[in-house]
Amino acid sequence: MNYTWRFDVALQSLPQLLEGLGLTCLLTVLAMAIGLVVGLIIAVMRFSRWKAIRLPAYAFTEVFRTTPLLVQVIWVFTVLPLTVGITLSPFFSGLVALGLNVAAFMSEVYRAGISSVAAGQTHAAFALGMTRLQALRRIILPQAVLRMVPPMAAMWVALFKDTSILAAIGVAEMMTQARVLASETYRPMEIYTLVAVVYFLLTYPQSLAVNWLFSRFRVKE
Amino acid sequence: MSVQTLPILRVEGLIKRYGTLEVLRGVDLTVRRGEVVVIIGPSGSGKSSLLKCLNRLEEPSGGRIFLDDSEITGKHADLPRIRRKVGMVFQHFNLFPHMTAIENVMEGPRTVLGLGRAEAEASARDLLAKVSLADKAQASPAQLSGGQQQRVAIARALAMNPDVMLFDEVTSALDPELVGEVLTVMKRLADEGMTMLVVTHEMSFGRQVADRALMMDQGMIIEEGAPEQIFTQAQHERTRRFLRQLAWVAS
Repeated sequence: MNYTWRFDVALQSLPQLLEGLGLTCLLTVLAMAIGLVVGLIIAVMRFSRWKAIRLPAYAFTEVFRTTPLLVQVIWVFTVLPLTVGITLSPFFSGLVALGLNVAAFMSEVYRAGISSVAAGQTHAAFALGMTRLQALRRIILPQAVLRMVPPMAAMWVALFKDTSILAAIGVAEMMTQARVLASETYRPMEIYTLVAVVYFLLTYPQSLAVNWLFSRFRVKE
Repeated sequence: MSVQTLPILRVEGLIKRYGTLEVLRGVDLTVRRGEVVVIIGPSGSGKSSLLKCLNRLEEPSGGRIFLDDSEITGKHADLPRIRRKVGMVFQHFNLFPHMTAIENVMEGPRTVLGLGRAEAEASARDLLAKVSLADKAQASPAQLSGGQQQRVAIARALAMNPDVMLFDEVTSALDPELVGEVLTVMKRLADEGMTMLVVTHEMSFGRQVADRALMMDQGMIIEEGAPEQIFTQAQHERTRRFLRQLAWVAS
């Protein structure tokens, strides 16, 4: 192959590429927030006494865990408006899809954390006359939350990268910027290499932080 | 009939099954207010299941239970309300590890009864003093010995001001030298007139403190009577054999 790499062109585009970074970060933060809240609700629903509450939560989790994220994103963007009649901007479509996807996985993190607290703790809480929600809020979750920190952090790292999937529906995050630049500069090889390097440089430290969290919060019993 | 002799707890034909295994096979029991009842019997005889049915930590499969003349069995019983009146202490203490000793004692009154912090803290201090742990209020459970943890657990249950206290083999997980301090607290409680059901292997405690002893075997109460009589002149061969195994009956 006789290709002349022109990284100077790519580097000149760096400011424009990084313009997308703000949106990448915003999407990560918001989708994570949705995932944390909705995921907890789903997890609590799955511990319900009533099947009518458990079942929808189970279905939600399994649907989002067993279909590709790209399909979910495109579905929310194109099919949902036609069926429900609500038109969302690409940004909000992408955010909803990402947020619900994270929620599905997060509900499993909550569930595992809650189940890891010894049964005796629930018995002790009930014996004092606590309701299920009181026991969860005062006794179980405070103990479970430390065990949930590492998997949540790992999910954060995955989410940070997965926001790039929203390029498929034109959300102006970093990957979309890269696509625009690639066609503007006619230098896709350099631009896509550059965006990969930027993702790596941003994600690698986060990944190291996750490893540290895993060692820091390993449950000793 | 004086108030002292009124039944506070009545159990009629209590049955508990796990699948096809029947662990309680028709238990009848009446406990008077202020009475201390010890329950003995080999492991697997249903003692623990009986206690756990009384505050519905276990769901009875059949029979009825009355607390203070109102039925607590059945689908519509208000479980949190029942459990407020029935304190329980567990074999493995089950203190809340993310709270200090005094926070453990305050937790029920604060969360369940909605008491203010100052009020809950004042009464928690009194209770910790009562179990001789006033100086350990700020300790976390991990910093306490097993005996100390169990005394905090007793204080935690008492903080709800229960009508009945259930003790489920509360000294079985303790090192032998720590058993005494827990039994001392329990004896004090009995002397103050608390109604207590005590599943235990501590025969000396049963003899000194209990008003009545029950022997359980294979899901039924096979013998009951005054502790002295049960421990020294048991009628039932099964009871005598069990007590011999505990090396209590000398000859």
